[in-house]
Amino acid sequence: MIGKSDDIIIKTIARIFVPFLQLYALYVIMHGHYSPGGGFQGGVILGASMALLLITHGYDELKRRLPEGALIFLGSLGVLIYAGIGLICLLLGGNYLDYSQLSVILGVDAPHARSLGILGVELGVGFTVMAIMYSIFFDISTGGILPEDQRREDRAEGER
Amino acid sequence: MNIFFVAVGMGLCALVFLVLYRAIFGPGVFNRIAAISAVGTKTLIILLIIGYVYNRVEMFIDISMVYALLNFIGCIAAAKYLEMER
Amino acid sequence: MEVTLFIHAADDAFRILENAKTQAVGLLDTATRLTSETRWMEEKKLQTILKGAHEARSGVQGFVITFVMLMVFWALLSGKFDAFHLSLGVICSLIVAYLSHDLLFANVRVGDGRVIARRFLAYVPWLLREIITSNFYVAYLALSPKMPIDPQIMKFRTKLESDISWVMLANSITLTPGTVTIDIADREFMVHALDRKIAASLDTGEMEDRVAHIFMEADHIYIQDVLDVSRIFAELKRGM
Repeated sequence: MIGKSDDIIIKTIARIFVPFLQLYALYVIMHGHYSPGGGFQGGVILGASMALLLITHGYDELKRRLPEGALIFLGSLGVLIYAGIGLICLLLGGNYLDYSQLSVILGVDAPHARSLGILGVELGVGFTVMAIMYSIFFDISTGGILPEDQRREDRAEGER
Repeated sequence: MNIFFVAVGMGLCALVFLVLYRAIFGPGVFNRIAAISAVGTKTLIILLIIGYVYNRVEMFIDISMVYALLNFIGCIAAAKYLEMER
Repeated sequence: MEVTLFIHAADDAFRILENAKTQAVGLLDTATRLTSETRWMEEKKLQTILKGAHEARSGVQGFVITFVMLMVFWALLSGKFDAFHLSLGVICSLIVAYLSHDLLFANVRVGDGRVIARRFLAYVPWLLREIITSNFYVAYLALSPKMPIDPQIMKFRTKLESDISWVMLANSITLTPGTVTIDIADREFMVHALDRKIAASLDTGEMEDRVAHIFMEADHIYIQDVLDVSRIFAELKRGM
């Protein structure tokens, strides 16, 4: 179980940093076609911001913001978005992930439809990467034992 | 002006190699962490110099900022791990 | 036979007196319980008024200010101002501000934001001047051939109250060449200084006074607090 850090400088600075970190990650995802970035890089920065919150404020603070169910949900949601966009293109009568078919729904011409389709799949990739990066970090640092089970084990050992 | 920046970049690369000595042979883990942090700051500047030399600074600023952020978070994570190990 | 009648009467009298005594004790118990309950209810009412007012105002205010700051940051990062990218920026700022607005402004007194921002902008040039002057002195120390440094660690107790002011003071001390903040352990700063002269210049407490002046702590009276308290006091007086 990760307790909160008792150093007040790191706690305060991490608390001020995290919204700007998350906005920077979303900027990197959205501007993938124009400057270095894209889905995977933005997802890694989002996961790193969650890891920073976990290290400095402890697990209890983070359980409010990102519970385990929401983590699994986000991870699957990203894959659903990616595969779903491909399937929509297939249903509209083109190849799988042929974004130009999306111009029927969105009402723009084919190059713009391709750009928006790529933006959509990058968003999906970003969600999944954030969930998985944070989950890997959490599992490695706590050894895969959830804090509730850890507390129960500690209490059982104390009684023994 | 390009020559000046390229010379500064090469000087910084030499400094990185000096610090790498500590990262490899440093007795104990604290020396290694400090060395990797120092390498991180120099890498930042070298990236910006490369961006200037190739005339596309605005692209390399994004990468530098990301690397600075990840360096910071890595330093704090390593410190937390060492604190918990004791 | 009169004796038995008398004994029966005395028995009845005693029983009536016992009943009266138990009833009186019961009445006294109920009276104490009722007064303590009223006091507890009054306290709870006061608590809800204070907490509700503070949370309502600071919650919305924090969200709006966070959203504006994030929008400015987005506009700085992405140089494109066409409708598509700006709308993307608005959506992203809204999401991030909703998720983390209570992180950025956790314990700020409501209504003070503008004054603090103005005083902070006036503090930064002073800090830059301090950095430049200390830089010359430390360079002289480091470059002279016998390097007369005298490293010492000093502890001092600070008069600042909130964690943001501690962090700002620690940051300013670390940014100034010659001093590094090592630790803060419940209001006691541990600072490492290079020289006795640098330690003495930190000991005067000028930086601490200036940081206290930014955040309006340590012997200042806030008009906003007096106004808040007077409204709550009127509410309570009406309730009584």
